[in-house]
Amino acid sequence: MARYLRRRILTGILCIIAALCINFVIIHAAPGDPIRILVGKDNPNPELIAELTEKYGLDQPKIVQFGKYVGNLLKGDMGVSIYTNEPVWDMIVQRLGPTAMLALTSAVLAAIIGTAIGIFCARRVGSKLDMIVGSVSYLFDSTPSFWLGLMLILIFASTLRILPTSGMIDMRADHEGFAKALDIMKHMILPVSALTLTLIPYYFRIARSSIIQVMGEDFITTLRATGVPEKRIFRKYIFRNAILPTITVFGIQLAYLVMGSAIIEIVFSWPGMGSLVMTAITRRDYPLLMGIYLVLSISVAVMMLVVDILYSVLDPRISHECR
Amino acid sequence: MRLNNAIKTINGNPQLRTGCIMLIILLVIALLAPILAPHDPYALSDDMVVAPCREYLLGTDGLGRDILSMILYGARTSLIVGFTAAIIAGIIGTLLGGFAGYFGGKIDGIIGEMINIFMMMPSFFLILIVVALFGSGLFNVMVVIGLTTWVGNAKLMRAQAMSLRQRTFIKAAEAIGENRIKILFKHVIPNGIFPIVANTTMGISGAILTESSLAFLGLGDPNIISWGQIIQNGKSYLVNGWWMCVFAGLAIIFTVITFYLIGDGLNRVLSPKLSKVMFFTM
Repeated sequence: MARYLRRRILTGILCIIAALCINFVIIHAAPGDPIRILVGKDNPNPELIAELTEKYGLDQPKIVQFGKYVGNLLKGDMGVSIYTNEPVWDMIVQRLGPTAMLALTSAVLAAIIGTAIGIFCARRVGSKLDMIVGSVSYLFDSTPSFWLGLMLILIFASTLRILPTSGMIDMRADHEGFAKALDIMKHMILPVSALTLTLIPYYFRIARSSIIQVMGEDFITTLRATGVPEKRIFRKYIFRNAILPTITVFGIQLAYLVMGSAIIEIVFSWPGMGSLVMTAITRRDYPLLMGIYLVLSISVAVMMLVVDILYSVLDPRISHECR
Repeated sequence: MRLNNAIKTINGNPQLRTGCIMLIILLVIALLAPILAPHDPYALSDDMVVAPCREYLLGTDGLGRDILSMILYGARTSLIVGFTAAIIAGIIGTLLGGFAGYFGGKIDGIIGEMINIFMMMPSFFLILIVVALFGSGLFNVMVVIGLTTWVGNAKLMRAQAMSLRQRTFIKAAEAIGENRIKILFKHVIPNGIFPIVANTTMGISGAILTESSLAFLGLGDPNIISWGQIIQNGKSYLVNGWWMCVFAGLAIIFTVITFYLIGDGLNRVLSPKLSKVMFFTM
């Protein structure tokens, strides 16, 4: 177990270092000068350009810039945005909340609904209903999330007019307390539905196939032969064994969801990480971009590590195999 | 004879059969787009935001371009991006996985770690940054998608090579002193390639979805018509011109399903045991 853990942590750290390097190389090799954008194309004031270049350390050799960046990171300083002068960390933290709200809600909903449908179908393998649900899951798997979002807006917001089209709160209504929470919830319905619908097929497939797999194992046949009630076999033996892969998928999905929800956030003008990424890209705000990428990489690495550890605790065969 | 066998296999598997028919439709549309399209997809006209009618079967967009013609031409973009990106990912994955699995030892250690690292990367974000910073030409989009999505193929090929390494015919080739690189390319890869082919087919779907997402975010090639771009332009007309977004989205879904079906069908043909359990593997 300890050896397995050490290996996994090492991989996680390597991954973050690789992310840092890739990040730095890509952003600094890219064409386009952030100082130029900051100064404005029609304002070639050489003194101002030189001053700003020096201020942000862009005149130093790349390796020195990289060393400085890593050094500051270790001190917990991610730098300031070239564009707004705000600390990068603060900008990211502000946006993490709304994104987490969307991502968590839809992940939990999708996991519950998808697993439930998966179990339902697994117990009726090969039936007409199973085939129909399977085909629908194909359909949702092939649907681009942004298009689904637009269709939901088209149906529920602009045609039926029962839900708001975009944003997180109604700016005109000055809600406080409970009314505000209710307002946010109302704004969440459409983006959460779009995300949940695109996530359900994953959980459905995993739950369905792992339950069918466990149902075919020898020990289940033995249990049946010894006359254990079918309900008890399902609850105690099949479900418990078959739910493991769902836990893994949940963890991995959650880590990627921050990025996955970005495009939905843009469709619904949700004030989260997605719109921050887009503004950082259009403004070529290097420190902000690097910060976002780093936070994402670390969160994915940590999430995967947690999932692996959890998995090896729940299923001891995993860490034994690694030896 | 082999062709007959292939047709028999395709016919015997419903996924594969449906997928192949859909693929043929797509290929015909892409190849014959100039003949099939009723209007020039790039030509602007005064008939702006016209709802579907006899003259414009799927309506026109905000600049008076015919949506049907744009969608027909867009099939070309999607197919080119999908195939190229998936093939790049397939080649990289096969080579890296083959080397790691067949040679083992240190090579496997290094490549294995690379696979682990790439698995943890938020790849869509990486694609987004690269395309945004280095320009969004079609070439860039294809290459970047290919370079970031090879991991699944590498894992599959590695497992294949590891098991093939133990087989008698490989051991025999080694015993008579054949060059190991030659064995890898002549025996290991050809014998283990089938799951990678199935996975690559599904990769085409992924690449098409990624390209349309990029185009939707305004990071696609501005000079080429693509379905994501039609939706991006149509977004601002959602209320008055629903047809712009709706039909282009349906085209994406049709294409993505096509390759899912083929990939899934190939997987089932490969291992009949799976066919009851899985709808398709990712």
